[in-house]
Amino acid sequence: MVSSYSFIKYFKKEFVLGPTFKMLEVAFELSMPFLMSYIIDEGIVAAQQYGSYTQIVVPGVIIFALAVLGLCSTLVCQHFASIASQGFGTRLRDALYSKIMNMSLRNIELIGKGNLNTALSNDVNRLQVSVAMMIRLVLRAPAIVIGSLICAFIIDWQVAFIFLGVVLLISLILFFILRFSSKKVITVQKKVDNLVTLTNDSLNGMRVIKAFNNEDVEVNKFKEKTSDYYNEMKSVNFVNALTNPLTFLVINITIVLVIYFTSGQILESLNSDLTTGDLTSLIQYLNQCFIALIAVSNLVIIFTRAFASKKRVDYLLNIEDDLKNNPRFARFSIKNGESLIKFDNVSFRYNEGENNVVKNLNFEIFSGEKVGIIGGTGSGKSTLIKLIDRFFDRSAGEILYKGHDIKDYDLNALHEEISIANQKAVLFKGTIRSNLLVGNRNATEEEMIDALKKSCSYDFVKKFPNFLDYEIEEGGKNLSGGQRQRLSIARALVKNSETLILDDSTSALDYLTEKELKQNIFGNKDQTTIIIAQRVSSLLNCDKIIVMYHGEVENIGTHEELLKKSKVYKEIYISQYGEDYERAN
Amino acid sequence: MVKIMKELTRLFSYIKRYPGFLISSLICALIFVVSMCLTPLFFGKAIDEITLAIIEHISLLNTNFFRYLVISVILIVLVLIFQFLFEYFNGLFVERVTKNVKDDVFKKLNEVSIAYIDEHPHGDLVSRVINDSDNLNVALVSGFRQFYQGIIQIIVTFIIMFIFNWILGFVVVFLTPFGFFISYSLAHKTNKYFKSQSKIFGDLGALSLESINNIDVIKSNNYEKDSISEFEAINKDLYKVGQKAQFAGSLANPVTRLVNNSTYAIVGMVAALLCAFSYKDGNMILGASCTVGTILTFIQYSNQFAKPFNEISNCIPEIQTGLSSLKRLNIVLDEKNDVNEGEKLIENVVDKIDFNDVNFSYDGKKQIIKEFNLKVEQGQKIAIVGPTGCGKTTIINLLLRFYDPNSGEIVFDETDTKSILKSSLRKSFGMVLQDTWIFSGTVRENITYGKKDATEEEIVEACRKANCYDFIMRLPNGFDTYINDYSGLSVGQKQLISIARVMLVNPKIMILDEATSNIDTRTEMKISEAFNILMKSKTSFVIAHRLSTIVNSDLILVMKDGAIIEAGNHKELLGKHGFYYELYNAQYAKIV
Repeated sequence: MVSSYSFIKYFKKEFVLGPTFKMLEVAFELSMPFLMSYIIDEGIVAAQQYGSYTQIVVPGVIIFALAVLGLCSTLVCQHFASIASQGFGTRLRDALYSKIMNMSLRNIELIGKGNLNTALSNDVNRLQVSVAMMIRLVLRAPAIVIGSLICAFIIDWQVAFIFLGVVLLISLILFFILRFSSKKVITVQKKVDNLVTLTNDSLNGMRVIKAFNNEDVEVNKFKEKTSDYYNEMKSVNFVNALTNPLTFLVINITIVLVIYFTSGQILESLNSDLTTGDLTSLIQYLNQCFIALIAVSNLVIIFTRAFASKKRVDYLLNIEDDLKNNPRFARFSIKNGESLIKFDNVSFRYNEGENNVVKNLNFEIFSGEKVGIIGGTGSGKSTLIKLIDRFFDRSAGEILYKGHDIKDYDLNALHEEISIANQKAVLFKGTIRSNLLVGNRNATEEEMIDALKKSCSYDFVKKFPNFLDYEIEEGGKNLSGGQRQRLSIARALVKNSETLILDDSTSALDYLTEKELKQNIFGNKDQTTIIIAQRVSSLLNCDKIIVMYHGEVENIGTHEELLKKSKVYKEIYISQYGEDYERAN
Repeated sequence: MVKIMKELTRLFSYIKRYPGFLISSLICALIFVVSMCLTPLFFGKAIDEITLAIIEHISLLNTNFFRYLVISVILIVLVLIFQFLFEYFNGLFVERVTKNVKDDVFKKLNEVSIAYIDEHPHGDLVSRVINDSDNLNVALVSGFRQFYQGIIQIIVTFIIMFIFNWILGFVVVFLTPFGFFISYSLAHKTNKYFKSQSKIFGDLGALSLESINNIDVIKSNNYEKDSISEFEAINKDLYKVGQKAQFAGSLANPVTRLVNNSTYAIVGMVAALLCAFSYKDGNMILGASCTVGTILTFIQYSNQFAKPFNEISNCIPEIQTGLSSLKRLNIVLDEKNDVNEGEKLIENVVDKIDFNDVNFSYDGKKQIIKEFNLKVEQGQKIAIVGPTGCGKTTIINLLLRFYDPNSGEIVFDETDTKSILKSSLRKSFGMVLQDTWIFSGTVRENITYGKKDATEEEIVEACRKANCYDFIMRLPNGFDTYINDYSGLSVGQKQLISIARVMLVNPKIMILDEATSNIDTRTEMKISEAFNILMKSKTSFVIAHRLSTIVNSDLILVMKDGAIIEAGNHKELLGKHGFYYELYNAQYAKIV
């Protein structure tokens, strides 16, 4: 079990030295009121009676010196804290990122990509802050509170009990405020989320809103929601407004009480230890104590959040990968016409006990074949591809790759031998070159140009100012949908892999371009090609077409065979071509 | 400065709406700040009474000791009441102001032209409505709680200190602002670390977002290791800057403490010396008296005087953020409303729609529609086809006046659409778009969106016609099921609900813009039944990608690069052996 905080072990020195220097500062700070008390009780009397001012000046200068020393030791501590916490954060971030990159797709989808991103930024940051606080404040704040209490007991044990009472009372108040606001934060956040949803909805549907002339309806809905929020904030505001005056009240009433009680003692026994100087020290300790308590309550907030983050990050760091790469032999090639992929009764489900996403898949693809896969949305086409490229391991049945269990084949080799162009044509921030290099790190300029030509991208790429070094913005925003699709196909082509899979990756292309592109790809007789499509026309010239329906293989055959024997295929065909056209043929 | 004033003018216009608030908050602030400042004074006086009782050997009861304590308690209670009132009403007031700002920004977004909404990333607009108004809220709270109150506190403490003991007052006033200036110049010097830290952090976030969201591409290219080393390189830079930024950021508190502690030492020392001197000179020195009580009072004053300085310097970043958010809000609020110069109403069925020499460009550079001419008779089914980017959707934008042509006119029965009231114009259209719009709400709310007062029978009928009644009934709460864009509905189901929405209104002219493009062809067949009912004997415009959907249209317009290059019905166009023929054959190429 890896714990997020285990990365602290690299910073033992900082964790020892940092707090040590911090405690020095606390000691300095706690001794100041004693010196002040000395000035008041002894210094003034000495000056008044003997005209000697050293008992005022010397302690005063010592206080000042202690303040400077305090600063110095704190700076040392802050320095160690910054090294330890940033170093900790950096290591944790690296570890988490590398863990995520190596997670199986199934785990990533189960956890959710959004959650992974949040963990990597927010959670790691919170943990990083908490490490800084461990060094800087975790010892300091309680030490000041306890130290002040001890000093109060040294001065006068009876008054010290008032002190103790106040510390408890303030802690109680802070506790309730904290609990109230942590609860409120959730309800307030919900109201904010409502506002965000509504604003998003309205912006996305602005055409519909305007078409229905419903602008006022939207504005009124929004006003209702902001009023909701306003009403929620009333009670938050009430508590917030109470916090400052209430703490002022508690602190100052305590001072009144301390003055009252000590006055009696000072007067009753003139030989008692308690003096007016002590009184001033007590008040000073009270103030210090109070500031430290506020710091403690902030620490509680920071650490509650950090522990929630720790839980999430620990969970991620310890996820066991369900997809293992245990190759049992070296990679090898097969001849054209030999069995490349064979599915034998394969089923897949995300979790035990859930419904199968695909079930009882049976088919075989031979090396060099051009295979089409067709089916409606949600028919399991994409899952099938993810099983072929081993993003997922099947839940039941057998998948053979080149005649062996796919699990025994080296996963990296498998990924190298199969290239995929996705429907969601993804490009990375960088240049056209850097994107093509993702497909094949050793691609020469010629190979790149060849891939661009085959994917029908060359014509538009050559018009770009820097050709291959044309900058691509985040998500390829500066390119059209069709251009992105062609470039992502180029990336798949530059890999020059044994198998090419086009997963509905020509949907944004017009028919003429798609036709040309397909001719280019089908020209490579050695490459096994699998095309997934929604349109019958995209699958022309395929050696065989697999028809998917509700997660199952409904039928397999050539276009003509399927028209005769496949009900689903025929329906798809008619829906796209119309009955008239069929008759006309 | 002039610029800032300009930004603030709008804020003042919101604040001015609550004049009573401003006066009462000033009164509350004055009462509680004065009481707060006098409290330590009476503590000091009470202590001096103890000393007096010791020296004179009298009972405390014969001194003013108890009177001073009672006054202190009264002052404390006054602080409790008036500080609470001040903060409570300030909070409410600030919430009110931000509510008004939010409402107005949202209203503005509903009033600006579609062009504005199209041109701005929605994420950015949402962030203006939510985050920027929130930043403004934080800045206003700090502005009132720290700035406004802080300045009053500084002035009042200053006056009271000088009345009470001008020498000590001078010492405190001289020393305190040091901390303020030191931390201010520290913040100024270290700002660059924070800036580059947030920039690098942004880069890192962009990288991880991109690679996690596209992990399948990374994995299928064995790119994990490369991606990890890219990440580690940026992360390393982040460490270098982050460590410096963090250290710089952690300086403020210790430096403030140093200044506070030195003030404590110096004030105590000077006060004690004054005590000693004044004892010789009959309790007065240079017009200032000093006692043990005074020391206590001034030690507290030095804390009290430093606090607002620290708080003000802490809230300056918040106020700066608030100001830049205010600027972003003002940009939206200053946006021009969509023009609506027309006043004529459409009452009857529109018999004729004419496009006369229409030209249009979104950016003034790239011509999208060129010399477009078209005559449409009532009841005709017009189809528009052509490659992506040829201007099909733009025609629709012009018809509904989401945009206006740069030149030329669109005429409804002899009336230029520019002189028709937009709401009346739009009321005559029913529109189904490629991207279905389901907002968060119940199914019923979504369906009755265009006709709030629809009866149950009407709703049911519309749903039956739109082929969605059955599946709605299968939802957990039928019509009252809460849905949103992400809930389990399929694309097809969402489209059927938006068809029912239009069906209920029964508009005069129908527009289908790629309404079935996101749906597989089998589902499409079910939906097209609904469409046929909807479009029956109505003028309709259908934009389609799949030619199968439009072969039965009365008139098919083939568009390329903003102009109609071919027009006619399906048979005529095929006969021409032109662009349509080519498109059609690419799509329906004979299986060989």
